Amino acid sequence: MNSYDIAIIGAGPAGMSAAITATQSGASVAILDEKPQAGGQVYRNASGSPLENPSILGEDYTKGAALITQFNHCGAKHYNEAKVWHVGDTGEILFSQNNETQRLTARELLLTTGAMERPFPVTGWHLPGVMSAGSAQVMLKSDAVVYDGAVFVGTGALLYLIVAQYIRLGVKVAAVIDTTPKRNYLHALPYLIGALSEYKLLFKGLELLKELRQANIPIYHHAHSINITGKTRAKGVCFISKGKQHCLETEHIFLHQGVIPNLNITRALGVAHHWSAQQLCWTPTLNEWGQSSIDMVSIAGDGQGIVGADGAIVTGQLAALNQLYRLGFISKKRRDQEAQTKHSLLQSLHRFRRFLDTLYRPITTHRIPSQDNVVVCRCEEQTVAQLKKGFEQGARNPNQLKSLTRCGMGACQGRQCGHTVSELLATWREEPVENVGYYRLRSPMRLVNLTELGRFTVTPSSKSGSKEDVA
Amino acid sequence: MFRHLSSPSLIQIYLNDQLISVPEGISVWAAMALAGETTTRIAPVTEQKRSAYCAMGVCFECLVEIDQQPNQQACLTPVKAGMHIKRQVITETTSASVTMKKEA
Repeated sequence: MNSYDIAIIGAGPAGMSAAITATQSGASVAILDEKPQAGGQVYRNASGSPLENPSILGEDYTKGAALITQFNHCGAKHYNEAKVWHVGDTGEILFSQNNETQRLTARELLLTTGAMERPFPVTGWHLPGVMSAGSAQVMLKSDAVVYDGAVFVGTGALLYLIVAQYIRLGVKVAAVIDTTPKRNYLHALPYLIGALSEYKLLFKGLELLKELRQANIPIYHHAHSINITGKTRAKGVCFISKGKQHCLETEHIFLHQGVIPNLNITRALGVAHHWSAQQLCWTPTLNEWGQSSIDMVSIAGDGQGIVGADGAIVTGQLAALNQLYRLGFISKKRRDQEAQTKHSLLQSLHRFRRFLDTLYRPITTHRIPSQDNVVVCRCEEQTVAQLKKGFEQGARNPNQLKSLTRCGMGACQGRQCGHTVSELLATWREEPVENVGYYRLRSPMRLVNLTELGRFTVTPSSKSGSKEDVA
Repeated sequence: MFRHLSSPSLIQIYLNDQLISVPEGISVWAAMALAGETTTRIAPVTEQKRSAYCAMGVCFECLVEIDQQPNQQACLTPVKAGMHIKRQVITETTSASVTMKKEA
């Protein structure tokens, strides 16, 4: 029987740190991840880079190698290339590995499924030749593949980081179209004092921006009304910057406007979520240990709401300490003692995050599209006009809109349209997003073929006996 | 243009029935991008060409057929020598056929 004290889903900084903390106190830990190597998105291939000189990517990346090594020796059972497609609130996990279905159970679950990039629903964002800026980072880190002559569009630290990395590597960047509005600088100012305790992070950010300025790349500031041209593939990008209309010809565009928690598993599990006005995304409702509305389910890392890699490490450790206490491995006193400095570090990082979130808050028109032809649901190819029609026919919430239009019904299971649909409906209803809600998600959470499903034999769970209803 | 930053050892795969050489250890999507074959699938409704968007497993735009198995995420699958990768064409007009393979 595949049974563990703690099962962790996602081997990024949060998951790895939690595994290290938990195994140190003697808990048996299973950790599942869809990639061949641990590291998550941020430390992707940090140990074993295909690049000749990975240090060019920066210290924030290379420092991941030490964490990965520590994790690889911690004694946790690492299921790599494992696609988790069902997580039950009884502690059951079903996953595919090498096209085989496997099952394991755990007394405590820790979800460290990280972040994904916020959708950027503008005209033409679905065309070939348009990718997210995160994809540029992924291809660079794991494949050593780059694109010469791309235009980068958007706002946020990750966008500037990948541009800086391209510059250092001598990869041609055609232009940067920065969509940070002028007013954000003013709005972020009051939070600057709170962010000062993380002055090292601030300093790094400023250095990054300096690198961009000195690189002799055209940078367009305070851009809005982004419009990608081309019928069957991207041919260019039009936008307004400082009151002037510009159109640049380009074969390749990288878009970015921040990251949001990747919530498909927490949603399907049915833990409580709320709308974060600061981060403009759905976040699970958690206590200070990352414990969710289902006691045995905790969430750490960017899945909590965006905390960044350093924050992910701390939240992973905190969640593990609490789970160790809940399982009887450590006393309450020891949990609290070990958590003290971690909690204050986390608070400091949260203050820094507040500053960043305000500074790089994506503008309304790039989140809530109003032009009829913008594709919202990429899988089922549903445009703003079609969704609007569904709303006018009476669909009040995302599930009703899904039934009427098929939005959110495709292979990505709403990952790319869910937030846009919530915000669109809130706008049309003239109500807070909180009232609108999100898609109801269900297992399987990954594409599973019938052969894989067929290889799974139902074992009645001790609690309810009917939890294997996964189809 | 996509390009590779180092000079890695190469393996051979079939991409849309063409035998090509690609760097060892990269993803199927990266191999397609380097080969200039960036169309991963045909959109089911408009039948337009689509290509990878996120390259990290969340957008499902890069679904391709790998070794006759449809709906494989090119960005999450590492290339293997001799692999057959094909553009995925499943649209509203495609009729499904079920072939049962006998298990050993």
